[in-house]
Amino acid sequence: MSIKSYEEMDGIALDVMREIGSIGTGNAATVLSSLVGQKVKMTVPEIEIKDFNDTITLLGGPEDVVAAVLVQMSEDIQGTMLFLLRMEFVNAVLKQIIGKEVKNYSDLHEMEISVLTEVGNIMISSYTNAISTLSGMTIHLTVPAIAVNMLGGILSVPMAEMGYETDKLMLINGKLILNEVKHDSTILMLPDIESLNRLMSKLVGDYSG
Amino acid sequence: MKLARQEGTLITYALGSCIGITLYDPNIKLGALIHIMLPNATGANAGNVFKFADTGIRETLRKLAAFGGVKSRYVCKIAGGAQMFEMTGGGSIGNIGQRNIDSVKRTLQAEGIRIKNQDVGANYARTMLLDVSTGKVAIRTIGKPEITL
Repeated sequence: MSIKSYEEMDGIALDVMREIGSIGTGNAATVLSSLVGQKVKMTVPEIEIKDFNDTITLLGGPEDVVAAVLVQMSEDIQGTMLFLLRMEFVNAVLKQIIGKEVKNYSDLHEMEISVLTEVGNIMISSYTNAISTLSGMTIHLTVPAIAVNMLGGILSVPMAEMGYETDKLMLINGKLILNEVKHDSTILMLPDIESLNRLMSKLVGDYSG
Repeated sequence: MKLARQEGTLITYALGSCIGITLYDPNIKLGALIHIMLPNATGANAGNVFKFADTGIRETLRKLAAFGGVKSRYVCKIAGGAQMFEMTGGGSIGNIGQRNIDSVKRTLQAEGIRIKNQDVGANYARTMLLDVSTGKVAIRTIGKPEITL
């Protein structure tokens, strides 16, 4: 009694993901507030399950440049988490943390890259902590990796990683409010299907998809 | 997979760890552009043959032949297979691009097709364009001038 792909998740399963999204978002806002030294608010996030091309359309164009932080999960949950940082948000956090802004992605050097990697890592950990806390499952995270490049190329990485199981991506999409400016906050949460079934059986009991 | 005759430009955007493969028959100006994501088709999820290097290339060759293409005339170029994220301490994600490159080359070799030119590996995404009227292949990347393969 289990599901074979993200799109088979029913209302109950999606409610669970939404709860993880909300708790993760709350954690993220708290940690980000202390990092940037001011209050950060976040809207209640939406869970979206979309195929590759629709995901790109939702987030921009395939050749749009973005920064992205990627972490792989192992132990009780296996899979990938990816956090996207767009230029406005990049500058908002750089300004608060190191008092600096950049004009282009090509102006991001070692210091800025290091700060953005840490911000991405904090965002991702906020969500994996939410999963661990709710389910009691242990999640080990790899050292975060960052890429600054075309959106399509970046998204192809988790897509290929999941490619033998599903053609869909699961997104947690919300807004981060920093200095009264709203920024898109997009996390790709991609447990493999076996892990997702394990998670659901922990949180929903006799979950049958 | 996209296919065109005589005129038009075939484009695939932002190849990361994926690979774009162009096959072009200059005599009849017949061109195909394949965008593969994974090295090999396995039984479980082989629904879309063009997602995989092995089945994608073979199915494209079959289609090209149906349109009058002659294998010995094909000019083949490949691009992509980047490692977008540098994973410290390994992890399975790191080498998918390289595994794609290996599978594409192995499949083409088995089909007796020589790769005329390539732009593979490194750590950035590529957009690949095939001009079907000339057979010219262009590669677009971020922060670098467009190159011709």
